[in-house]
Amino acid sequence: MACVYIPVQNSEEEVRVSLDQLPRDASDILDILKAEQAPLDVWLIIAREYFKQGKIEQFRQILLEGSSHEIDEYYAEVRYERIAILNALGAYYSYLGKIETKQREKDEHFILATQYYNKASRIDMHDPSTWVGKGQLLLAKGELEQASAAFKIVLDGDRDNVPALLGQACVQFNRGFYSDSLELYKLDPENVEALVALGIIDFQANEAHGIQKGMEKMQRAFEIYPYCAMALNYLANHFFFTGQHFLVEQLTETALAVCDHGLMKSHAYYNLARCYHTKGDYEKAGLYYMASVKEINKPQDFVLPYYGRAVPCPGWQGLDPARLAGLGQVQLKLGDFRSSLSNFEKVLEVYPENCESLKAVGHIYVQLGQTEKALETLRKATKIDPRDAQAFLELGELLISSDTGAALDAFKTAHGLLKKGGDEVPIELLNNIGVLHFERGEFELAEQIFKEALGDGVWLYVMDGRIRNSSMDSRDSTDQYKDMKLFHQLEEDGVSLELPWDKVTTLFNHARLLEQLHDTEKANILYRLILFKASFLDRLCLHYPDYLDAYLRLAAIAKSRNNIQLSIELIGNALKVNEKCPNALSMLGNLELKSDDWVKAKDTFRAAGDVTDGKDSYATLSLGNWNYFAAVRSEKRGPKLEATHLEKSKELYTKVLVQHPGNLYAANGAGVVLAEKGRFDVSKDIFTQVHEAASGSVFVQMPDIWVNLAHVYFAQGHFGLAVKMASPSPAFLFLPNFFFFLGSNSFPNFLHVFMITFFIFQYQNCLKRFCYSTDAQVLLYLARTHYEAEQWQDCKKTLLRAIHLAPSNYTLRFDAGVAMQKFSASTLQKTKRSADEVRSTVAELKNAVRVFSQLSAASSYHIHGFDEKKIETHVGYCKHLLDAAKVHCEAAEREEQQNRQRLEVARQVSLAEEARRRAEEQRKFQVISFRDYTIIIILLSVWLGHWKSHPNMATPWVLIGKQLERRKQEDELKKVMQQEEQFLRIKEQWKTSLPMPSSKRKDRSQAEDDDGGHSEKKRRKGGKRRKKDKNVKGRYEMEEADNEMMDDHDEMEEDANMINDQQEDGGENAQDLLIAAGLEDSDAEDETAPSSAINRRRRAWSESDEDEPPEMMQRESSPPAGDRENSAELPESDGEIRENDFRDDESDKPNRDAGDDDEVDD
Amino acid sequence: MKLAGLKSVPDAHDESIWAATWVPATDARPALLLTGSLDETVRLWSPDELVPAGTNTGHCLGVVSVAAHPSGVIAASASLDSFVRVFDVNTNATLSTLEAPPSEVWNMQFDPKGTVLAVAGGGSASVKLWDTATWQLIATLAVPRPEGPKPSDKSGSGKFVLSVAWSPDGRRLACGSMDGTISVFDVARAKFLHNLEGHFMPVRSLVFSPIDARVLFSASDDGHVHMYDSEGKSLIGAMSGHASWVLSVDASPDGAAIATGSSDRTVRLWDLNMRAAVQTMSNHSDQVWGVAFRPPGGTGVRAGRLASVSDDKSISLYDYS
Repeated sequence: MACVYIPVQNSEEEVRVSLDQLPRDASDILDILKAEQAPLDVWLIIAREYFKQGKIEQFRQILLEGSSHEIDEYYAEVRYERIAILNALGAYYSYLGKIETKQREKDEHFILATQYYNKASRIDMHDPSTWVGKGQLLLAKGELEQASAAFKIVLDGDRDNVPALLGQACVQFNRGFYSDSLELYKLDPENVEALVALGIIDFQANEAHGIQKGMEKMQRAFEIYPYCAMALNYLANHFFFTGQHFLVEQLTETALAVCDHGLMKSHAYYNLARCYHTKGDYEKAGLYYMASVKEINKPQDFVLPYYGRAVPCPGWQGLDPARLAGLGQVQLKLGDFRSSLSNFEKVLEVYPENCESLKAVGHIYVQLGQTEKALETLRKATKIDPRDAQAFLELGELLISSDTGAALDAFKTAHGLLKKGGDEVPIELLNNIGVLHFERGEFELAEQIFKEALGDGVWLYVMDGRIRNSSMDSRDSTDQYKDMKLFHQLEEDGVSLELPWDKVTTLFNHARLLEQLHDTEKANILYRLILFKASFLDRLCLHYPDYLDAYLRLAAIAKSRNNIQLSIELIGNALKVNEKCPNALSMLGNLELKSDDWVKAKDTFRAAGDVTDGKDSYATLSLGNWNYFAAVRSEKRGPKLEATHLEKSKELYTKVLVQHPGNLYAANGAGVVLAEKGRFDVSKDIFTQVHEAASGSVFVQMPDIWVNLAHVYFAQGHFGLAVKMASPSPAFLFLPNFFFFLGSNSFPNFLHVFMITFFIFQYQNCLKRFCYSTDAQVLLYLARTHYEAEQWQDCKKTLLRAIHLAPSNYTLRFDAGVAMQKFSASTLQKTKRSADEVRSTVAELKNAVRVFSQLSAASSYHIHGFDEKKIETHVGYCKHLLDAAKVHCEAAEREEQQNRQRLEVARQVSLAEEARRRAEEQRKFQVISFRDYTIIIILLSVWLGHWKSHPNMATPWVLIGKQLERRKQEDELKKVMQQEEQFLRIKEQWKTSLPMPSSKRKDRSQAEDDDGGHSEKKRRKGGKRRKKDKNVKGRYEMEEADNEMMDDHDEMEEDANMINDQQEDGGENAQDLLIAAGLEDSDAEDETAPSSAINRRRRAWSESDEDEPPEMMQRESSPPAGDRENSAELPESDGEIRENDFRDDESDKPNRDAGDDDEVDD
Repeated sequence: MKLAGLKSVPDAHDESIWAATWVPATDARPALLLTGSLDETVRLWSPDELVPAGTNTGHCLGVVSVAAHPSGVIAASASLDSFVRVFDVNTNATLSTLEAPPSEVWNMQFDPKGTVLAVAGGGSASVKLWDTATWQLIATLAVPRPEGPKPSDKSGSGKFVLSVAWSPDGRRLACGSMDGTISVFDVARAKFLHNLEGHFMPVRSLVFSPIDARVLFSASDDGHVHMYDSEGKSLIGAMSGHASWVLSVDASPDGAAIATGSSDRTVRLWDLNMRAAVQTMSNHSDQVWGVAFRPPGGTGVRAGRLASVSDDKSISLYDYS
C-alpha cells in the first residue's frame, strides 16, 4: 500500500498516512500537516491523492490551505513547492474552466486560474512550470498565440523542457500543423506520455500509414512503461479492430488494474464490452457497457458506450440484409428498441451529425416500422458522409419497397464505395442490385451483376455451354427435369459442384433471369443444380431456403412447354418438401384445371387458401377464377347455377381487392364479372384502369385486358350508340365524340364502321404486343369482328391465318367456310355486280363446298364437334348457291354485254352532245361548261348504276337522258320484281315448311318473317341487352390460370354461333328480300323520282344492313341446344330456295310483266 | 460462322408469306427461291437481287407449303384447300394436281432421289407418298394412334401430322405432329419404327442433318429446337432461346449450323458444336414462317445463302459464311 510519512516535529518519528485510507474530512489531515509543519511536497502528494480518488473538495481544501498567507510566510524559503501548489490550483481551475459550459462560470474559473499563476509568477518569474501552466490556461482559453509565447519563454530557458514542448506541440496540433507538433513531440523518444500523444496524433491523422505508425509508438510506450492506461486502451482499441479479441481482453484488464481514472476506466470497459459484443456474448457486453457508462459522470466525456448499449445486437454494423433478417429474432429478444433509441438520441444531442448514430437510429426506426423517419434519418446520414457505404446500403434496403429506382441508385453508390475502398462487396448487395435491374427490365446489367456476385464456380460451365444435358433416350427425356445423373457424372469426373449457401439465392435469381431471356435449358440445369445440392444437404438435415422455388420454376417451365404430367410431378416434389406451400398448391390447382380435373382443382385451391388463412390473394383469386369458369363453363348454362358461381367469384375478387387494392388480376376479374352481368360501363372503367396500370412492368403482361376492353367496346358498340365512349387511346379520343355530337342516330353506319375499326385495332394490338401473333383465339375474335362488319374477305383471311396457326382446329375451317359462303351470298344479293365479281363468287363457293365436304369427310375420323348432317346442309346450300351463281354469272355477263352497248350509246350521245356543245359554245360559254360536267356525271352514273337523286342532276337528266333512263329503269325494276316474286313464294314455303315451333328462337324467326319491318327492329333491340354478356365472356384468363379447355369451349360456342348465323342464311336472304318487298309496297306512293324503285331498294338494303348485326347477336344468344332441330329443319327450306331459284330463271316473262306494271306507276 | 444481310424485299407478296424453299440450279439457270403466301400465289425469285422470276396463281386459300424436286425442274405447292399442285418450274405448266381426301396437306418434301413426294396429311394422321413419275399415291404411312383414345380431346389434335422430313439417304422419313411426337418410318418397308418424344407442343418443321443421316432437328411451339438421334431414339440436345414458337428449321449444307425462324420475329443461327445461338437477325417485323438454306450446286455458286420469309410480307436473303 502506498503511504506517505509525515516527520513528527523535533523527533525522529514519522506519522504514517496510508493513501488508501485518507480521512473523509480533509481537516484532520490538514491539522496534522500544520501541526507537524510537514514539508509542502507531502501536502501536494496528499492533495493529488484526493484528486485521484475524485474527492475534489478535499483536494481543493488542502491546496487552498497550502497556498494561504500563513504558509507563504512560514515556508517563505520553500519556493518551488509553493509554486507547485499554486500551479496545481491554477491547473485545476484551468480544467474547470475548460470543461464548464456556462460562459460566466467558465470565465470565473479562468480568472481564478490566472490569479494563481500570477501569484506563482510573483514568487519566481522564471519558473518554467508556471509558464507551462499559463500556457495551458491560455490554450484552454483558446488563445493559441499567447499560449505559444508562454511556452516559448520556457523553451528559451530550457530547450528540452518536455511539458513546454508538449504544450507547444499541442498549440501546433490545434493549429492543425500536425507535422510541426510531431517534430516537437519526437524530441524525447523515451517519454511515455510523449509517445502516447504522438500515437494519438498518428491515429488522428486517420490514414492507414498513420495508424501503423501510431501503433508502433503505442507499442514502444507499452514496452517502456507497461502500465500506461492510455497506451493500453489504444492498443486494445487497435486489436479490437484487427479482431484479436484475446489481446483486447488482456490489455483492458491490465488497464483496469493500473488505472484509477474514470475516463480511462470507462474506455477500458468500453473496449471490453465491444469485444464481448462482437463475440456474441450480449449479456457480458451489456454489463461492461453499463460499467463503462457508470464510470463517467457526464455523457459529454465519453459517448461511445452509449452506442454500445444502444445497440446490444451485432447486426447493425454488418447491415447486410441476409444477416439482418437472420438475426432479427436475436435483436427482438435482446434489443429494447425504445430505450436504445433514446440512448442514440442522447448521442445525437452531442454529435448531431454523427453518422454512426444516425444510421443506428435509422435502423431502429426501420425496426419500429417508422419508415418515413427512418428514410429521413438515413438520407441525412448519407448526406453528411457521402462515402459511407453502410448508410447507402441501409437506405437502399429501405427504398426497395417504395422506390426501386432510388433503391437501385443507393445500392449502386454503396457498391461503388465498397469497391473503391477495396472492401469485399457483400453478395447480398450484388444480388439486390441484380434483382432491381431485373425488375426494371435491364437484363444485361442484371446478368453482369449476377455474374459478378457468383464469381467462379461450376455454374460458369453451365453458362458457357460446357456443361449441358447429355444425350438420353427420348422416352426418358421427360424425366430430364428430375434427372440428377448429370451432376453425379460431373462429380465422378472430378468437377467441383461446390455451391456456398450464400450464393444459392443469387444462383436462383440468375437462373430466373436466364429463364426470362428464354435460355430455358441453362436455367433448367441451374435449378437442378440447386436441387441437387439441396437434396444432398437434406440428408445432412440442412436446408436451402430457395430450393422449393427451384421445383416450382422447373414445374413452370414444364407447364409452359405443355408437359403437364411432368409439371404435376415436380409440384408433387415441392409439396413433399412443404405440403403447405401455398404457391405450389395454387400452381397444382392450375395444372389440374388444365388437365380438366375440375373437382380436384377446386379442392387444391381451397387448400391453398386455407394454409394461408385466406390471406394469400393468389389462392383466393384462383378460386374466384374457378367459380367464374364454372359459371360460364356449362353449355347449358343453368341460370341459377351460373348466378351462384358468378356471385361467388365476384365475392372472391372483391375480397382480394379489399386486401390488396392494387391487384390487377382481381380488378380484371371483377370487371369481367360485371360485364357478365351486363354492367358494361363499370367494367369498362375497370378494364381501362387495369390496362393503364398494367403497362409499365415487365412482370405484368395482361393480354387479357386488351381483349376484355375490346370485348366491352364491342358489346357496347352495338347497342350503346348513344353511350359515351371513353377511349383509352388518344388517337381515338376525339373521333367518337365527334360522331357522338353529330348524332348517332343519323350516322349509325358510320359509327358502326368506326367502332369496328376500333375493335380491330384493339385485337390487333393485343396480338402484336403480347402473343407474338400466335394466338388463334384472338384471331378468331378479330375474324368475328370482320364478320360483323361484313368484311368477308378480311374475315376469311383472318380465319385462314388462324387455321395456319392452329391447323387441327377444325372449327376454324368451318368458320372460314361460313365466311366464304356469306361472302358469296352477299355478292349474289348485290343489285349490281360485274361478271368478275360473280366469277370470284363462284370460285369462293367452290372453296366453301370443298371446305365443308372435307369437314364432312374428316368427321369420320375426328371428333370435332359438328354434326355431319349440319355440314351436309352447308354443302347442299353452297352447291345450290353455286348453281344459282352460275346463272347469275351468265346474267352478269349478259349485263356486262348490255352495259358495253349502253356505254357505246352513251359515247355516241356524248359525241353528239359534244358536237352540239361546240356549236353552242360560241353562244353560251358558261351554260355549256356546266352541262358538260353534268352529262359526264350522268353518263357515268348510268353506266355504273349508281343512281342518286341529286338535285343538280335532275333537270339536265330530264332534258338529255330520258331515253337512257327509261331503259335503265326498266332493267332494274324487272330484276327487283323477279326477286320479289320469287321471295314471296319463298316466304310462303318457309312458313309452311317450318315444323312445330318448338323453340323460342324459332318463334322469333317466324315472327321476324311475319313482321319483317321496323317494329321488329325495336323489339330486337330490347331483347338484345340480355345477350351482350356473351361477347365479353369469350376469353378471360388470368396469367397462370388460363385454361385450354375453356378456350376450346369458347371456340365451340363461338362456332355454334357461326353455325346459327349460317343456318339462318337461307331464311335471311328471303327475309331481306321480304323487307325489301314490303317496303316497296308501302313506300311506293311516297316516291316520285323516276329512280325511286332503285332508291327504295337501296334504302331497304341499308336498312337491313343496320338490322343485321344486332340480329346476329341475338342469334348467338340462342341456346346451342337448339342447334340440332334447326339443322334438321334447314334442308327442307334450302330445298325450297333452290326450287324457287330455278323457277326464278324460268320465270323471266312474268317478271318482265311486273316491271311493266311498275312503269305504269311512273 | 455468321449471317450477313444481303437483300430484303418488302411486300414481296400481297399477304403473309408462309412457305419458302430453294429450287436447285439446273444447267440452264441458277437456283431460284420459291415462296408461297396467303395471297394464293406462288412466286419465284432469282438471287442475289431477288428479282421476281414468275408468279403462279391457281391456288385457292393460302399456300402453306412449297417443295422443289432435287432436279430443279419441277416443284410442288400446297394450299389450305388441300390440293397439291405440281408444276414445271420453267414454264409454270401444271403437271398434276394431287389430292387424297379427306386428308389435308401441310408440309411436303421430295425424297433425295426425287422419286417420291411425301406430304404431311394433317388430321388423317398419316404421310402420303406420291410417285413422281406417275403421280399416283403409292403409300400411306399411318402414325399409330396413342393407346386409349381420349374422347375428351375436343380439338381433335390427337395425331395431326404437320411436318415431314426425309433422311439424306432416303431410307428414313420422319413426321412431326400437333401433340409434339415425332414418328420415324422405314420407307422401304413402309413401316413405322418408333416415336421420338420430348416435345409436347406442335412440331411444325423437321430437318435431317445433311452430313449425318441419323441426326434430326425439330422445331416446336414450345420454343425449343431438339436434336435427336432418329435411330437410337435419343434426345441428343435441346436448344432454347426463342421467345415464342419455333416455326421453321433448316440445316446448312455444310452441316455445321442450323437456322430457325420463330414467332418472336427473329431468325437465329445456331452453332451445332456449341449448341448455342451465335446470331439473331431481327429484320422481320412479324413472325418468320420459313427459313431455307440454298443447296450447293450450280455454276459458280459457292457462297452460302439463307432466305427467310415472314408474315410481314417480306423476303430476306442472307449470306452464310
